Amino acid sequence: MYGTLSKSETLWPVFIVIAGLLLPFFANNYQLYLGCVLIVYVVLALGLDIIMGRAGQFAFSHIAFYGIGAYATAILQQRFGVPFPIGLVIAVLLSAGIAWLVAMASVRLRHIYLGLATVAFASAAQWLAQTWKGVTGGVDGMRLQPSDMIFFTSRTDASNFRILAVILAIMLLLNFLLIRSRLGRAMAAIRDSEHVASVSGIDVRRTKAWAFVISSAYACVGGGMLVVFNSFIDPMNFTFAPAVLLLTMLVVGGMGSVAGVVIGSLTMGILPEILRSTMGDFIVWQEFVYGLILVLSITLMPQGIWGLVRNRTESKRSAT
Amino acid sequence: MLKLDNISAGYGAVSALEGVSLEIADGQMVCLLGANGAGKSTTLNCISGVVPLRGGQILLDGAPLAGIKAEEIVRRGIAQVPEGRETYPGMSVHDNLVLGGWVHRRKRSLIRDELDKVYALFPRLKEREQQHAGLLSGGEQQMLMIGRALMSQPRILLMDEPSLGLSPVLVERLFETIVQLNRDGLTILIVEQNAQLALRVSQYGYILENGEMATHGNSDTLRRDPKVREAYLGT
Repeated sequence: MYGTLSKSETLWPVFIVIAGLLLPFFANNYQLYLGCVLIVYVVLALGLDIIMGRAGQFAFSHIAFYGIGAYATAILQQRFGVPFPIGLVIAVLLSAGIAWLVAMASVRLRHIYLGLATVAFASAAQWLAQTWKGVTGGVDGMRLQPSDMIFFTSRTDASNFRILAVILAIMLLLNFLLIRSRLGRAMAAIRDSEHVASVSGIDVRRTKAWAFVISSAYACVGGGMLVVFNSFIDPMNFTFAPAVLLLTMLVVGGMGSVAGVVIGSLTMGILPEILRSTMGDFIVWQEFVYGLILVLSITLMPQGIWGLVRNRTESKRSAT
Repeated sequence: MLKLDNISAGYGAVSALEGVSLEIADGQMVCLLGANGAGKSTTLNCISGVVPLRGGQILLDGAPLAGIKAEEIVRRGIAQVPEGRETYPGMSVHDNLVLGGWVHRRKRSLIRDELDKVYALFPRLKEREQQHAGLLSGGEQQMLMIGRALMSQPRILLMDEPSLGLSPVLVERLFETIVQLNRDGLTILIVEQNAQLALRVSQYGYILENGEMATHGNSDTLRRDPKVREAYLGT
């Protein structure tokens, strides 16, 4: 499984770019907006899967880096006139730096304590977004101008969607490359057995720190993408509710596999839209439905939808 | 030569080892015996640098290993075969082995040569190259774990209860391989519950009791020692 990319792994990103360029001809603005939301979810979930599904570590701070990415690109663009692509790169470097510091501070922690430290970091970041009014606009949020793409300004839903599709393709390709790299191998090793990994000479702490930094960089890119197609961001985008939604995506789809993560983020991402049109006045129960889905999928399909599909096909194959 | 000089170690408030000393000369096969919880695995993990020392020191050819990262210890030639079925179950046999050669990850040709050597030693693993490690039988998993440790080209191999959970026939066969590895020049420190077998194949033995060294001596002498016979050999 390690080494060079398989055919499908090279073809998927290409397919996404082509589909992303063509779809706007057939979809209306609402569908394109929803498409953008789903694309951001996929990138966020792919990133969270790097630390949780691939390296086997729990981290709740993903949402904080999503916020850092969004605010950093937005502020760089609005206040300093930095074009989006350059702003995004700066934001990713900034996030990676912060993530490295968080990782260094928490490498000594294990199990539940590491998880708690990341929860604390997420809360702190959210608090900062709310209270640092001069920079983030506080609870009033930030109004966003159309994104400057150096060669053009992205004003329509169609162009926003195309930009996001291209970023998604790149992030997906990077994900495949990471999984097949030496680092990806080391991550899988510490997920399966930290003890064996360390007596085999794998630097467990460093591998975990790298997984955390890369995962956080994905969240940051997701945040930057949010800035492309939204005209407004506020701290409510980065609360515990979306953090839990992200976890649900991984659990429902199936951690540790790209297909599972994509299935999970698409299903859980589109669910609010379905609930909104079908539940009517019962929409206040939305969070309850998420919780129910989470509990049911943990008990009924611990490996997610993709795990279920894989088991079915494997048992069919062995039956014939 | 590997030397443990008066080492102590523990977990939290619990002390697992108290002033344990042990010596292994190059090319020797030494066994470490003792009941459950006597501190055998802790001793191996101290050598591997996974469990920190609370006192004493470990010397490899006279150079202290304390404070050195586990990675560097593997690089200096000490590999461990952990207890139980500790494979990477979701990965193929091939990937498990390649990961064992992690410290040589930048030398591709060396990894390939080592891989060939391991497959020559355990042809069974070659047959199962692309299978998930979790689907192997107990004996095959043990072979895989030994093969994985050999991938780092160790001088000293630490083995933690390789006979655990294997049928007597498989244990016999496995130990033939271990003896062969030792004859080919590999220094081996083997932890075993099966004291009879361990004392038969090794040249020297140590016996741990409650985290302290109870006795040690030539394996043949230990096998004839009435106290050892009563406590560990069941006769």
